[in-house]
Amino acid sequence: MVAHSNQSSHLSGIVFDIQRTSLHDGPGLRTTVFLKGCPLRCAWCHNPESQKIAPQTGQSGKVYGQRMSVDTVMQVVEADRGFYESSGGGLTLSGGEPTVQFGFCLALLQRAKESGIHTVLDTCGQVDPNNLAELIPWVDLFHFDLKLSDNQGLRTWTGANGNLIEANLAMLEACGSKIVLRCPIIPGVNDTRMHAAFLDTMEASGRFERVERLPYHTSGLPKYADLGLPQPTFV
Amino acid sequence: MKTLTELSRDYAVSSLTTWQSALSQAEAFTNRFCELDGIPVVQREATLLAQQFRQQFLPMERNDGVAGRVRYPLVGFSPQPMGMGFYCDFDGLEQGLERYPETTDRGQALINFWRGRTTEAHCRAALPPEAARHLPSDAWFTESGVGFPLYRIGGSTLDYGKLVHLGLDGLETVTRHTDFAHVVPLLRGTIDFYIDQVDDGEVSRSLKTVRHGPPESFRDAVQLIWLYALHAGSWNYGRLDVVLGPFLERDLADGVLTWDGARELTCQWWRLMETVPCQYDHRVIVGGMGRPEEAAADRFALLAIAATRATRSNHPQLTLRFHEGQNTALWERAIDAIGEGCTFPMLYNDDVNVPAVAKAYSIGRNRAMDYTPFGCGEYVLGHQGIASPNGVINLLKGLEVALHGGVDPVTGYRVAHVPAVSQLQSFDDVWRAYRRVVEPIVTALAVHQATEYRVAAREAPFGFISALISGCVENNRSAIGGGAVYLGGSLETYGNTNTADSLHVIDELVFKQRVVSLPELVEALDRDFEGASELQARCRAVAKYGNDEGLADAMAQKVHNHICRFTRDQAKPAGLDSYLVVVINNWANTVLGRTTEASAEGRRAGEPLANGNNPSSGADVNGVTAFLNSLVRLDPGIHAGAVQNMKFTKDWFGEMRPKFDALLRTYFAQGGTQAMISVVSREDLEAALREPEKWGHLIIRVGGFSIRFVDLPADAQREFLTRTFN
Repeated sequence: MVAHSNQSSHLSGIVFDIQRTSLHDGPGLRTTVFLKGCPLRCAWCHNPESQKIAPQTGQSGKVYGQRMSVDTVMQVVEADRGFYESSGGGLTLSGGEPTVQFGFCLALLQRAKESGIHTVLDTCGQVDPNNLAELIPWVDLFHFDLKLSDNQGLRTWTGANGNLIEANLAMLEACGSKIVLRCPIIPGVNDTRMHAAFLDTMEASGRFERVERLPYHTSGLPKYADLGLPQPTFV
Repeated sequence: MKTLTELSRDYAVSSLTTWQSALSQAEAFTNRFCELDGIPVVQREATLLAQQFRQQFLPMERNDGVAGRVRYPLVGFSPQPMGMGFYCDFDGLEQGLERYPETTDRGQALINFWRGRTTEAHCRAALPPEAARHLPSDAWFTESGVGFPLYRIGGSTLDYGKLVHLGLDGLETVTRHTDFAHVVPLLRGTIDFYIDQVDDGEVSRSLKTVRHGPPESFRDAVQLIWLYALHAGSWNYGRLDVVLGPFLERDLADGVLTWDGARELTCQWWRLMETVPCQYDHRVIVGGMGRPEEAAADRFALLAIAATRATRSNHPQLTLRFHEGQNTALWERAIDAIGEGCTFPMLYNDDVNVPAVAKAYSIGRNRAMDYTPFGCGEYVLGHQGIASPNGVINLLKGLEVALHGGVDPVTGYRVAHVPAVSQLQSFDDVWRAYRRVVEPIVTALAVHQATEYRVAAREAPFGFISALISGCVENNRSAIGGGAVYLGGSLETYGNTNTADSLHVIDELVFKQRVVSLPELVEALDRDFEGASELQARCRAVAKYGNDEGLADAMAQKVHNHICRFTRDQAKPAGLDSYLVVVINNWANTVLGRTTEASAEGRRAGEPLANGNNPSSGADVNGVTAFLNSLVRLDPGIHAGAVQNMKFTKDWFGEMRPKFDALLRTYFAQGGTQAMISVVSREDLEAALREPEKWGHLIIRVGGFSIRFVDLPADAQREFLTRTFN
């Protein structure tokens, strides 16, 4: 393991934000590292700058994304170790879909775990199962997105492969991973009685630590304009 | 909320009748002052205070549970509230004369008499020429300058334990053959004034009890302390839990008081403090190391927090000292109060502060446990000493002067001899120039502090303060005249963060990256960045203190260590036991910013300076943990108090409360000294700006004090809004 980490310490990836003192990205006080790149194109995406892996420059001149080494990221993460220890917090990897930069993602999780920092991985589930399996030992808690309950809707609104996501969720459960389901409630997309009933069923199943229903917000809209992307039109 | 000075003045000018009465009082005081010319100053103080107190104490009002209200005269004697020693409210007189021109002759005669005769004027006149040259102005509120003297005997924290132990008879006995023998008779005179007004009842019984013997109940003790404080003009009460806890405990056990009754009485006292409005004072300390009857003290601490939650006022400035192993209920209730938006109690971490105070004052740990925050956050060693903050220095103005060849660009006044900006070839040159501007002013302010004590001590014994400061009665010397065990002072420094950030920008952009020359940068600053917005953006983009980033924080440490150590080293030459920096805030950051030109960290001319030890508004962008990590890098063992303001949204409470708790506990465990916490939402503040009449209850922490948001001047309101919300 140590050899692996040493080799990975100079690995680098594209990070579009590091948020310290995150309150809503897992237990305790956390540092959330946002990696660029996402296989999905959710119509309501509030982080459109996360979709492409490469750094982008907005019309405002703002640069979205910069290459950072594992060491550099971990230096920031380590700075708040005391706060993690007192609050039960740690590192959250988010995105985009953090597993898109698989090697970088794995290296960050390994480094954190090896130094005793709790880890959360935010994932949409559209991940190569082999990669996901390799990550499991390094993740204390998965935040697993559950956007729609039907494959057709999922494909229409996000471009996702529902079967793959379902299989990955099942694999995590089979491996005994702790999972919080994160469920955005999008007006005009899934704010239906049927979806609400589905989430209630999932919650009652006892399979998950928690089911979180996340309200839609429009804070990401200005970024579409800055990136020259059309505004979302799902509503 | 108006200040006591403004309230007293407003009353005086409210009608021709009150104005004439105020003039008559001032004339009587002045005449008596003249008649007493040449008699011993002890006798003079006793005689004049007797005359003043007859006017100063006001009748009780209907809901007062404790006797004691005051209004100060236009001319009189006080340690600080209206001015130091023999004072004259010149502004009040001029205001009255403008409104009632028919009284011009009388008012002008008073002005003419007191010009040059107040204690403050005597202190200014006694300042040695070299120090005076470095301190050309006293008008720090309006004029541009680096250093300014202040005139006061502030922050005395009296030995109320001794008072309630001895009672007035006992105090009379020990002071009988001293310069403070007038204290007890004068106090009794006021007690009699109130006894005559009240029907038989609890207040009457308390007054009659404390007229002679020690207090017998919690109510008696509160009554005695309150009246004494009003006579002393000293409104920082120190460790009241130590003093009042045993009385409270006994009364609760004996059924003399219920918890609710005790809380209501305490609320009534808190409300009386509001009648003597001074948001910078009225400190009540609870908790902390070195409390002999800890369980009893805890009871009062919990009572004080409960009263503060009930009154929701900015009086008193309730302060919780805490340490590992202390009753956790105090912390829990304190966080409850803070989460409700009380801004109180302020939190002080004894595990860090006691060793830091021991180091800063070069004293033992046990004595350091007496450290007592007063006013805006300065420390005094309880009733062992006096440590009035009598100097102000604007460090950013110091840097500005250093970058202008030693001349203040606003006034043209030559402050120091330093090379022209074109001659500053390295960062070390800039640093040396900055030091050459700042250091002589610090020295001058230390000299001023000692001079002020010396002159004031010659004018009066300040009996009410001296009688309850350790060492004074025993040696029959006044608190500032050699009686106090520790006679020190403190220097209020402002712009520390802006100076550090500016120096860091200069180092980075001028000397390391060489993207601009120093003269070009200074020229852009002189133009207030007009036509240099790109350069301003570059200046702003350089890392700033408060983000847990090495170089920026290292510069903050360099500035901090320099000013704190240099100031500390001025004590001995000036003849003081200590002279230490305090990094506090009233709204001096806003006031001093008005006369400070644009600065290299990207700040425009006239904009406020950073608050206390905090990052510049909006400069901390890496989250609150990064901010807290930066804060703990500044050595607490070389100053006498630094305030750390934090503004949190309400999101941190409710189900997030455990995270808030963990955040604070970690900050303190990592070396945090202190926290002053506002819990507000941006929406509330913006609504209060739009409709101030509906938001009188919104209390915020400005710096070293709390205030109703709607009472802040407009620019200070805007400055508060720009501070980071965590």
